[in-house]
Amino acid sequence: MIKLYNYELSANCYKQRLFLSILGLDYEAITIEFFPGMEHKSEAFLEINPLGHIPVLDDDGFMVRDAHAILIYLAARYDPSGRWYPTSDPELLAKTAQWLLFCEGTTSTASAARLHDSLHYDFDIDAVRAGAHRLFRVADEHLWFAEQEGYDWLVPTDHPTIADLALFPDVILSEEGGVSRQDYPALHRWTDRVKRIDGFTPMPGVFFAAPAQA
Amino acid sequence: MTWHPVASSADLTYRTTYHAQILGRELVAWRADDDAVNLWENRCLHRGSRLTLGINDGAELMCRYHGWRYANRTASCTYIPAHPADAPARSVCNRTYPVAERYGLVWGSVEPQDSGQAGPPAVDLLEAGALTPLRPIVVNAPPSKVADALAGYRFQPSAAVTQRPAAEADWRSYRSPEGGWDVATVERDDLRIILRATDGDDETHVVLWVQPVDAHRSVIRGVLDARPPDGSRLAVLRHHNHLLSRLRDRVEDQAALEPMPEPIQVEIAPVSVELSGMPELGAGRRAPLRVRVARKWSVAADVAGFELESIDSPLPGFQAGAHIDVHLPNGLVRQYSLTNGPGESGCYRIGVKLEPESGGGSVCLHETVREGDVLAISEPRNNFTLSRASERTVLLAGGIGITPLLSMAQTLRQSGLAFEMHVFVRDRRFLPFDELVSSLGDAVVEHLGLSPQQTATEIERILGEHTLSAQMYVCGPAPMIEATTRIADELGWPEESVHFEYFANPTEIDDSTAFDVALARSGLTLRVEPAQTVLEALRAHDIDMPSSCEQGACGTCLASVLEGDILHQDVYLSRSERAAGDRMLTCVSRATSDRLVLDL
Repeated sequence: MIKLYNYELSANCYKQRLFLSILGLDYEAITIEFFPGMEHKSEAFLEINPLGHIPVLDDDGFMVRDAHAILIYLAARYDPSGRWYPTSDPELLAKTAQWLLFCEGTTSTASAARLHDSLHYDFDIDAVRAGAHRLFRVADEHLWFAEQEGYDWLVPTDHPTIADLALFPDVILSEEGGVSRQDYPALHRWTDRVKRIDGFTPMPGVFFAAPAQA
Repeated sequence: MTWHPVASSADLTYRTTYHAQILGRELVAWRADDDAVNLWENRCLHRGSRLTLGINDGAELMCRYHGWRYANRTASCTYIPAHPADAPARSVCNRTYPVAERYGLVWGSVEPQDSGQAGPPAVDLLEAGALTPLRPIVVNAPPSKVADALAGYRFQPSAAVTQRPAAEADWRSYRSPEGGWDVATVERDDLRIILRATDGDDETHVVLWVQPVDAHRSVIRGVLDARPPDGSRLAVLRHHNHLLSRLRDRVEDQAALEPMPEPIQVEIAPVSVELSGMPELGAGRRAPLRVRVARKWSVAADVAGFELESIDSPLPGFQAGAHIDVHLPNGLVRQYSLTNGPGESGCYRIGVKLEPESGGGSVCLHETVREGDVLAISEPRNNFTLSRASERTVLLAGGIGITPLLSMAQTLRQSGLAFEMHVFVRDRRFLPFDELVSSLGDAVVEHLGLSPQQTATEIERILGEHTLSAQMYVCGPAPMIEATTRIADELGWPEESVHFEYFANPTEIDDSTAFDVALARSGLTLRVEPAQTVLEALRAHDIDMPSSCEQGACGTCLASVLEGDILHQDVYLSRSERAAGDRMLTCVSRATSDRLVLDL
């Protein structure tokens, strides 16, 4: 049985829950009281992850930490189509990795702003919000041209990749950190498309889209 | 009236919402399935939540917070989940703004609609079609500064655009050779500039508008006057995106050096009283709307369909199950249910069964009223409201009683909610609106030629035991409604799950008594004489009371009773509502005591 060390409000944990749900995998969510209990910094949890971060995945004893590493593991192990993490195509694989790394940036800006506003983290709020806007501007431009070229997703292929799932939570929750998405209509349309992926699951503050065209 | 571009037409994709803004005013833009574009105040009337967070279901926009729904085009509120019973008589309506689509852009205005201008001023260059809208560029700078900078915009004609030098060229020395390009200003207005780029025989015009989002925010929206040569469309789009982004960076850098202007304060004007309030009371049955019979056609044996279109202003919104009063040329007033689906706001559609034996309303509509005639009608009123929160919804229609249920069925289907619809008719020739019925697919079961006894048996089988939150709606001949409510009761369906609408009251009305009616709030006591109704007595003393059918079927003239015993003679109230003795329909019901005290 897969176990996910999880916090319901964490954007990084949501990436895993989203992908587990899309892959149709059963798992046990072990709640780590991130706030206010700071359980991820407890002695017991540091035994599981010395970095004191969630999520951590335990697949029958195989332990892996860090949100994007877990996505890679789940795709490589449980997606027989090989499309979520396209290892067989060097160019698509490189683009997937490129956007996964982009998400390290949105996590440290858009998601940091959210931690500041909702969980009282001590960040330079103006700086992290400005950083989020810089990245959203790039993503919006990229996705606008992707649409022009006939692609729905970050990586130019006809199927979403784990990069889309890695970016989605940071984007869709950004308003909780005071980062408006009003100026990024192409990014907004992409969030609707992610919400229409089979197996999509919401979280507090994230809702279903209107159903896709029949 | 000043129009501003607020979006690209391509931004309003299938069932999405778009967050627009003009001069500090936030707007929600959305496209319905019938391709109508809506531009409204981005604010739910209930708790002020942004409607851009809501759900566009193709016909209505639903607020995410508490589920209020607003109809395509009219923005009238069609559903309030917590108060389905409140829905009647409401004409709550969100604020709409003038909107138009032109040149691949969506246009809006925050000034009041003036009838002369249906859209933004024409640009002759763009009338030829084959336009190419550019990627919009957001600029964090005042609109006037952006417009000034655009006067210096330099670009190449589409035919001359090539990809940036390939990597093997000396990439380090690459500069946009903007200086050498030949660009002339064709026209310049406040927030619009037309430029022409020339290179030898090649020539391209671009029309650039600055959308004034706020005091310090703008969007550059550009349209090219022609389609780029085959194969170069993306290169041309990237060419402009690159150059306009560079221009944006320069303008933003410059603007950052200056003090930031205060955001524009917009007033959220209260919605006008006639839109937000309950309909104004006035004596008698009102028919404020004038409609033209746009189409009259046979929808079944002995049933005529009428399509009623507005003469001047748009028709008010309606809810599933609503009816209108139709004032007929012969002086009669009759109620007909709307068969329209959600968001169908261009006209009202009703079905009228010919009943030669009745009072003459249907005969008049069948024989006298023709296409092109003008009729006076009331605003839609709904005393047969649909819950959208049930796990099982059963619609039972007898003959022409199908009309309100058709509206409900389309509403449920549009919202993706499951329902079962059973139609009882003599034979298929008598099935009204059969095409519409067929379009509802498997959800509809037709029951043809059953006797009353067979109908009752079938209804019993259909209803079955009541399950949690199941709701049923029945409309048809009086004996069918009576049988259905009795069967539902025997099967354990709670009364609040059983909804019915009679189109006529079969009760033999006893109006032989005389009694006093005291009006608690007005401080007045009236005498109701034999052959006079309470409603007539009220009106004789200038007491205002809305009414519609005036035969105890529709529920419009309901009054609260504080004291006294009531002789109920209506078919609107449920058994327990009657037993509670705290309300009555003033058009038919009377007193068994000497005196009634009404909360009027």
